[in-house]
Amino acid sequence: MSNSLIEVNNLKKTFGGLTAVDIKQLGFNKGQLTSIIGPNGAGKTTFFDLISGFQNSDSGDIHLKNKDISNFQPYKIARMGMVRTFQLTKVFDRMTVLENLLFSGSEISNDSLFKSVIKSKSQKKYEENLKDKAKNIMEDLNILHMADSYARELSGGQKKLLELARSIINEPEILLLDEPLAGVNPKLAEEILSLIKKLSNEGITILMVEHNIEAVMKISERIVVLAEGSLIADGNPNEIRTDRNVIEAYLGKDND
Amino acid sequence: MKISNKFLFAVFLTGFSIYLVFALNPEGASRILLNLLTFAGIYGLSAIGLNVHFGWTGLLNFGHASFMGVGAYVTLILMPHAAGREGEITSTGLPFIVALIIGILSAALFGLLLGLPAIRLRGDYLAIVTIAAAEIFRLLVRDLESITGGVYGIINYTENLQQYRPNFINNFSESLGFSPSQAWVCLVAWVSILFTVLFLKRLNNSPWGRALRAVREDEDAVRAMGKNAVWLKLQSFMLGAGIAGLSGVLLAFNYGSLETTVFVPLLTFYVWAIMILGGVGTITGPIFGSIIFWVIISETDRLAFILFENANGQQLAGVRFLLVGLLIMALMIFRPSGLLGKKEELLLDVK
Ligand SMILES: Nc1ncnc2c1ncn2[C@@H]1O[C@H](COP(=O)(O)OP(=O)(O)OP(=O)(O)O)[C@@H](O)[C@H]1O
Ligand SMILES: [Mg+2]
Repeated sequence: MSNSLIEVNNLKKTFGGLTAVDIKQLGFNKGQLTSIIGPNGAGKTTFFDLISGFQNSDSGDIHLKNKDISNFQPYKIARMGMVRTFQLTKVFDRMTVLENLLFSGSEISNDSLFKSVIKSKSQKKYEENLKDKAKNIMEDLNILHMADSYARELSGGQKKLLELARSIINEPEILLLDEPLAGVNPKLAEEILSLIKKLSNEGITILMVEHNIEAVMKISERIVVLAEGSLIADGNPNEIRTDRNVIEAYLGKDND
Repeated sequence: MKISNKFLFAVFLTGFSIYLVFALNPEGASRILLNLLTFAGIYGLSAIGLNVHFGWTGLLNFGHASFMGVGAYVTLILMPHAAGREGEITSTGLPFIVALIIGILSAALFGLLLGLPAIRLRGDYLAIVTIAAAEIFRLLVRDLESITGGVYGIINYTENLQQYRPNFINNFSESLGFSPSQAWVCLVAWVSILFTVLFLKRLNNSPWGRALRAVREDEDAVRAMGKNAVWLKLQSFMLGAGIAGLSGVLLAFNYGSLETTVFVPLLTFYVWAIMILGGVGTITGPIFGSIIFWVIISETDRLAFILFENANGQQLAGVRFLLVGLLIMALMIFRPSGLLGKKEELLLDVK
């Protein structure tokens, strides 16, 4: 067995005749900040969907902490400490920003119907601690003033922030970020980027899909390049910058 | 608690509806009102259960009548009753309260059994499955004549509840010209609403209620946060079904006999109308929605008669349905999110 935190072997996913993902072998080490780049339709999101359990692969296996999670439900994988965000931001629209965070931060046992009927002192206390935790995160991310706004009222960039806040409230080991900077203004993008850097420094293993090459080059320790479902390059930012395959993949297609 | 304008308006409109009953019926208004309030209580309770499904969790359940039916049939069959063509009498059985509890649990269990295969389906598919399941239930009950009485139905069961009727109901009913047994069912229905509302209020602001709302908003995000969305939906389905089961039992007691035709899809649609009128996602909205709905249902024939004195019966029936539709449409245009619903939470934009 390898010592990668996440490892996939012979992972394949097709949609009809289209091969969305076809990766022989790919592993990610603990603590590293890795970016996954590639042209539109390269299979980046599908790769995230596969390893987070949102889609089933056609063949191949996925290991998380040396455990085969190929057929795991998404919620089980999330509970193992790997939490994802979505390219098309998914927030709980008709709940407030605070409620978004409280729901996400609350343990399963705290959500139980029975406990919610009893409303014990310990649950009240748990909720109060949770609220403090949520407030701290909102403060860090500069969204505290919107705590009581409905999430649907937020701007696109603020929603990205909220999704990120929601993902880190339970202190995950691994974060899968699908285009955290898409549609975000440059100033906020800068903030999000330094937040990601900070999370990485705290020891969280991060995989980030992102089209903003400048940002990717700036913060990644490693870059993995996908094109048409396959791995075409893998290395540090300097290696990727000059890689022939990568240049071809980007220039060969009409792409940013 | 601060009283909102919305709430005052709902109270006013409900009060006005009740006033209309008196205005339109120079004679027998109080008896009509009792009948109407009994139905309103029972259907309102059912709509409160439906709101747990749809308003809280976003589950499109179009088979609500079957949950009411399971509750009613199981409870009645467990108690002394008579059923079938010859009206075979079963004189032994469980006491009302025990049978009721089993009936409610059966409705919840039916929700679980129906939900296990169906609840993973996307919203609109769940709607189709629940409609079909409700019809299958109804036809099954009709054909299992030896147990359910089939098309002949169940009779002779009302004493199971009426034996507990307190004396004050009798005195009170006599002075107002009510049927005491209906007054008792009405009281039980509204007490049931009271307790259900208190129970749900407790849950609404709890972590569990919050989790259901998250499921309603985005199941994928719920899963991504490590929560089992399917289990949450099943729990919601069971709770709402149990409440529907209770209302089904009360409906049976309001009628003197129980037949399968009670649980036709129209019942489900009435309950939906009441929930939408009262406010999707609210707890007390369906109570107001239900009273107003039943005033509309029961008084439109009177209104049609007053408006078109020379029309014949068939024409009046047509006018009546026209009026029902128009009044409900007017209310919805005026209050798109229902009487107590929040504009920001307007829930009719189903995914
Ligand atoms: N559910 C689906 N059904 C059919 N085809 C799909 C589905 N999901 C993805 N695809 C196809 O699979 C390929 C990979 O899509 P994917 O979303 O993974 O690309 P991506 O690298 O994330 O692209 P982008 O940078 O545009 O987000 C695309 O050709 C896409 O059209
Ligand atoms: Mg993508």
